[in-house]
Parts: sequence; structure tokens; C-alpha cells
Amino acid sequence: MSTLHIIIPYSAVFKKLDPRLMQCVLAHRKPRWLPVAKSKIYRIPKRPVVPEDERRELMRLNNNYNTYMRAIKQFYRDEMVKEQTTSNSATSEMSLKLDAEEWARCEELNGKWNAQVSLEREERRKIQLAEMEEYALARMEAKDKQLREKIEKASEEIRIQKELSATFITPEKLDQAIEHALANPVDYNFAIDLQGGRYEGRDSPPVLPKNKDEILQ
Amino acid sequence: MTEKIIKYVGRTTDFKGKTLWEIVGSLRNLGVGRIIVRSTFERYPEASFMKIVKVETCPDEERRRVRVWVEKTFRGKKLPKLTEIYRTSYKPDYKLIPKNEEEQLLARVAEQSSKPEVVLPRQIEMPPLMKRFIINDHEKKGLEVIKDFMMPINFTYSPNRAHRIAEPGEKATVEFAIDLGKPASPSLYEGVPLK
Repeated sequence: MSTLHIIIPYSAVFKKLDPRLMQCVLAHRKPRWLPVAKSKIYRIPKRPVVPEDERRELMRLNNNYNTYMRAIKQFYRDEMVKEQTTSNSATSEMSLKLDAEEWARCEELNGKWNAQVSLEREERRKIQLAEMEEYALARMEAKDKQLREKIEKASEEIRIQKELSATFITPEKLDQAIEHALANPVDYNFAIDLQGGRYEGRDSPPVLPKNKDEILQ
Repeated sequence: MTEKIIKYVGRTTDFKGKTLWEIVGSLRNLGVGRIIVRSTFERYPEASFMKIVKVETCPDEERRRVRVWVEKTFRGKKLPKLTEIYRTSYKPDYKLIPKNEEEQLLARVAEQSSKPEVVLPRQIEMPPLMKRFIINDHEKKGLEVIKDFMMPINFTYSPNRAHRIAEPGEKATVEFAIDLGKPASPSLYEGVPLK
């Protein structure tokens, strides 16, 4: 019953479910977060009437009781603290010795671990250094190769230009070149027909191809 | 003129009076220098009242509060510091003392100061069963045996404390004991032998 009470939330939906479940949920009590029931809005609870002399006497007795209880609690609290401090001081020498032993043992173990770790670190460092060296060499080589290729390309270009330089028009050759150009005019205009035949020149008479096969090719 | 009839509906309350703003807001100079009383504290035989020293108004909200500094006299003892009233200023429990009655209140305080002072004890005797238990316990643990069976009283701190706590070595004027003590209302114990 009690578990069901916890699991099932208060909801009107459950009224339609098993009435046995509902009974335990609705057991005469609403959850605190729901507002006051409609039927209870105007209910005014009666205030208890305690006669003045009774009130005063009860107040006095309760105050006395509370004073006593606080004193007792404080006494036992102090007692406990006192006991703890004395027990601590009694065992302090023993505990100091134990602590020192424990410390030495820990130090030894720690030293051992450190040595092992440093060995591993040395090895790892060596491998790392070798890897770095290899990487650096590879990079240097690649760079050299790139440079060499660049130089080769440039020198090739220079050679070609040198060969071409024989045909360059120099101030000495200028007159000759002009005369040559005037003597051999070149007409770059041309026209094509539907078959793709090419007719060079604008003013020159059309030169017909020698046979039809030539056109089709 | 017909008499005005007031009918109260709903829950009753212990409060009696007005809120602090209702009093202070209708007075000249916001009531500085006047004396007010919480009617809750009128239950004590000694005089408790507050003299207004400074007033700060606060915005008008649902519960209109007002910040008031007062010289507080609680159960015939004047507190050394000023007390600020803000959080409780909305409670409809304050009363203004008319100027012609202020003298009376002050006279009551003077009368109170002439009465013998109540000094509370620092220590209290252990209950009988606890005494025996402590003896056994200390023997078992090998600790030194307690002889006087007194334990210190743990007083809660309050600035409003009405009675002084005894200094070390001072004799208290009241004693707490494990018996019924002196009844506050002897009429309840008629025909009952005390002790």
C-alpha cells in the first residue's frame, strides 16, 4: 500500500482506474501543493483557548525543561571533545612513529617509480629525437630538390632565349627587317566556305582546292 | 447618527493596532520623537516601547513597509544600539502612545530599575540519573571523577535578553532545579503538595 502511495500521482485520471488503487491515494489527504479545497475555503478553524494561568505555568515548565536539555546536550558535547583530544594526545607518539614509517615506505616506493619512469622517458626521448632528425633531413632534401628543379627550369629558359636571340631585330638589322617586311606583305585575312575550305587573303583571288577529296579530309 | 457597527469575518489574529506606516505617515515630521508600542510585547509586566529616531519612507507596495530606527526599551531595559524596523513594519500590531501617557511609561521603567536585578545562574545541577551514569562512565573510562555535578547552562544569545547572566563567581538570584520549582500560577496546584 505504502509503495503505491508514493508511485501514483494525484490525478483525476486514476479515478477511472482500479478503485482499490484510488482508495489508498485519496486517503482523506490532499498533497500540499494543491490549493485549499472548494468546500473548505470558508472554514475557519477554531483557535485553542488556553487559560492565562495555565499558559504561564506551561511556559515556565517548558522553559525550564528546555534549559535543562540544552545544558545536558552541551555537557555531553564538551565531554566528547575532551575525550577525543585526550585520546589523541595519548596515542600521539605511537602515531608519529607509524606516520614516519609510512612516510619512509612511501618515499622508497616513489623513488622506485621515479627511476622507472625516467628510464622510460630517456628511451622515449631518443626515439623522438631520431624521428625529428629524420623528419628534418627529409624536409631539407625536399627543399634542395625543389631548388635544383627551379634552377634547371630557369637555365632551360635561358638556353631557349639565347637560341631565339639570333632572330631578334637589333638596331643594326632594323632597316633590313623593314625592307624585308615591305617586300613581303602578309595578308592574314581569310574566309571559309560551307565545306571548310579556307580562302587566304582579302584581295588575293581565291585559290580553289585541287580536288574534292582534299576538302572532305 | 447611527452607531457604526464593525463585523469581523475570517480568522482571528493576535495582532492589535495599525501598521507602522499608518501611524508614522499621518504624523508631523513622520513621528520622530514619538513613542510606539508593539502590542505583542505588552504581555510582559515590564514596560516595552520604542522611541522613533529616524524614518525613511519606502515605495508603496502591497504590504507597505517603512524603515524606522528606534531607541528600543524591552522589558524595562534600554538597548545600547538603535534598532532598525523594516521587515516587521507591515505588521498591524503597532500602537502610538499619546503624548500625555509617555510620562507614565517612563515612570514604569524608572520603577523597574529600582527593583532588585534578576541574575541568571551560570551552572545547573545534573539530574539524579545522569549523576549516577556519569560516575559509572568516568570510572569505566578511568577519567577523574566529577565531584560537584554541575554543568554549564547554554544560554541562547539575544540582544533583547531581559535578565543578566551571572559573572563567574557571582551568585545568581534565581536557581534552576530539577524539581517543579515555584509555580507561576499557584492556583493550579491547590491541594497538591509541592516537593
